[in-house]
Amino acid sequence: MEYYIYRNFTVENLFKGIGASYSGYGDISHIPKEAKNYIWFYLPPVKMNQNELITELFDFQNKFQLLFEQIPVSKTVIAFTITTLFDIKFENGNFSLLDSINSFNNLLIETASNNSNLKIIDIRDFQKNVNQSLLDWKYYYISQSLITPKLNSSFKLWFEQKLEAIQGKRKKCLILDLDNTLWGGILGEDGIEGIKIGDTYPGLAFLNFQENILEAASNGVIIAICSKNNEEDVLEAFSNHPFQLIKEKHISAHRINWQDKVTNIQELSDELNIGLDSFVFIDDNPIERERVKQMLPMVEVPDFPEHPYLMSSFFGEMYHNYFQLYHLTKEDKNKTQQYISNSERSINQKTFASIDDYLESLKMELEVIEANKFTIPRIAQMTQKTNQFNLSTKRYTENDLYEFINQSSLVHCLSVRDKFGDNGISVASIVFINGEVAEIDSFLLSCRILGRNIENAYVDFLINLIYDKGIKKIIAKYIPSQKNRQTESFYENNGFTLEKTFETGVKLYFLNIENKRKIKEYYKFKIIS
Amino acid sequence: MIKQQVKKIMAEVFEININDIEDDASQKTISAWDSMDHLNLIVELEEKFDICLEPEEIGEMITLEIIVKTIENIKK
Repeated sequence: MEYYIYRNFTVENLFKGIGASYSGYGDISHIPKEAKNYIWFYLPPVKMNQNELITELFDFQNKFQLLFEQIPVSKTVIAFTITTLFDIKFENGNFSLLDSINSFNNLLIETASNNSNLKIIDIRDFQKNVNQSLLDWKYYYISQSLITPKLNSSFKLWFEQKLEAIQGKRKKCLILDLDNTLWGGILGEDGIEGIKIGDTYPGLAFLNFQENILEAASNGVIIAICSKNNEEDVLEAFSNHPFQLIKEKHISAHRINWQDKVTNIQELSDELNIGLDSFVFIDDNPIERERVKQMLPMVEVPDFPEHPYLMSSFFGEMYHNYFQLYHLTKEDKNKTQQYISNSERSINQKTFASIDDYLESLKMELEVIEANKFTIPRIAQMTQKTNQFNLSTKRYTENDLYEFINQSSLVHCLSVRDKFGDNGISVASIVFINGEVAEIDSFLLSCRILGRNIENAYVDFLINLIYDKGIKKIIAKYIPSQKNRQTESFYENNGFTLEKTFETGVKLYFLNIENKRKIKEYYKFKIIS
Repeated sequence: MIKQQVKKIMAEVFEININDIEDDASQKTISAWDSMDHLNLIVELEEKFDICLEPEEIGEMITLEIIVKTIENIKK
């Protein structure tokens, strides 16, 4: 059973096909252990007596708290907010119904901020999206459904997007065109003075669009530019146009040239170390969009609005579809800064005599953290999102990780800091212990910390850690994926013995630990438990 | 004509083969036709035929024959 749904009305029409079982109406007495996740979905019942209705809404709070306390922290609870479905105002200026609704929703928000296993989905967001009443009286009277079955498919789609956001399966980078996208007009023809961005329409619509993009950037979306223009004209417009908000410093990489955009996007993917399937490409020109769609089907290419006044709603929808994250981790917020300091780092690298000198100069601080309720959301996110430096590409949820810990597996992550900045948690490892043998199930690094040999130092560290537990035998696997080629010789390079290569390309390794490994001193590991 | 269209909608909603829907099909002969899918069927019928069914009619439309007759009456 994937989901067990606590509800107070008919919801079967909304969750058809997702593998759900349902509680009785308003019943919280049963907590089936076999459910992977629990959903709470209550809505204000149809009751005309205002006092009774409000009393019942306050009672939702008690029920929810009672239920939530009994669900183990290793299980995810997805709770829907409540909203007004209909409101006959018997007295003008009486806000007690609204008050009781807000009060329940605030309880959810407060509980979620103290419990990472509670995720909230805001039903008011759906209400806003469909722009019609959720309650259809005819269907209510024939089926007691508070949400009309007419909205079944829109609900399903919306709910799936919310789940993706909760599971962290989102895009990473926004590639932007410039002319008639970031500003009105064509820079090469109209000049800096002629392009439209400013405080009157249509310039204002472009200004708002840029504001939205900066907001996305501060929420962890990486910004890149791909435009047919003269680079120096663009850089001049970036620094000298009084209304231009997006500056060079906000952009992690750019291709401003006359080369075709498909090649440019591929180059951006290499430079940023991000797979093509993590890109969203925004361009006003339908021909460019079509070409990218044809040649790079993994890149998302939304249709761009024909009128500047539609750009804000376009942005909102685009962001919701591709970038909305549920739980923003600290790492996301710093991401733009990290990609920028990475290129500063590679400039710096060139002036040192040996790589050791350089690595030493970085003053790396590596905190090894045993998985706990604060780090598990980030570790799960990394298993979901890391593709390139990932030896086995196994995707795990927070619940899976809790289960591993319960089975005494070693689940660790590594927080990496150096003189250029804090990269946050960017390495994760999962090791299963089967008696005398340790099995490295997952070993992965975020690509933004590659180039510092941390992966080799950390595998040595991990081997020593296993050795200290009295275990001398390690097995490990490399499982090939479309993206992890760069790791195919990782274990050989770190002294493991290749035992067997299977037809599928999976490689099986053994290691007998004879002595603890010596780790270069500039990798300052510190264990936090 | 209407009968054929209704069969097509029923096949989609109940996720069954259209050839398995006989002319005497009813809630008794089609096991997937539960109360939940009955509502989904009504939603589709209202949309495809651009009609508005009354709750009383909805409650009675439990055989293919009655469904077709009801729609024909409205469309007349």
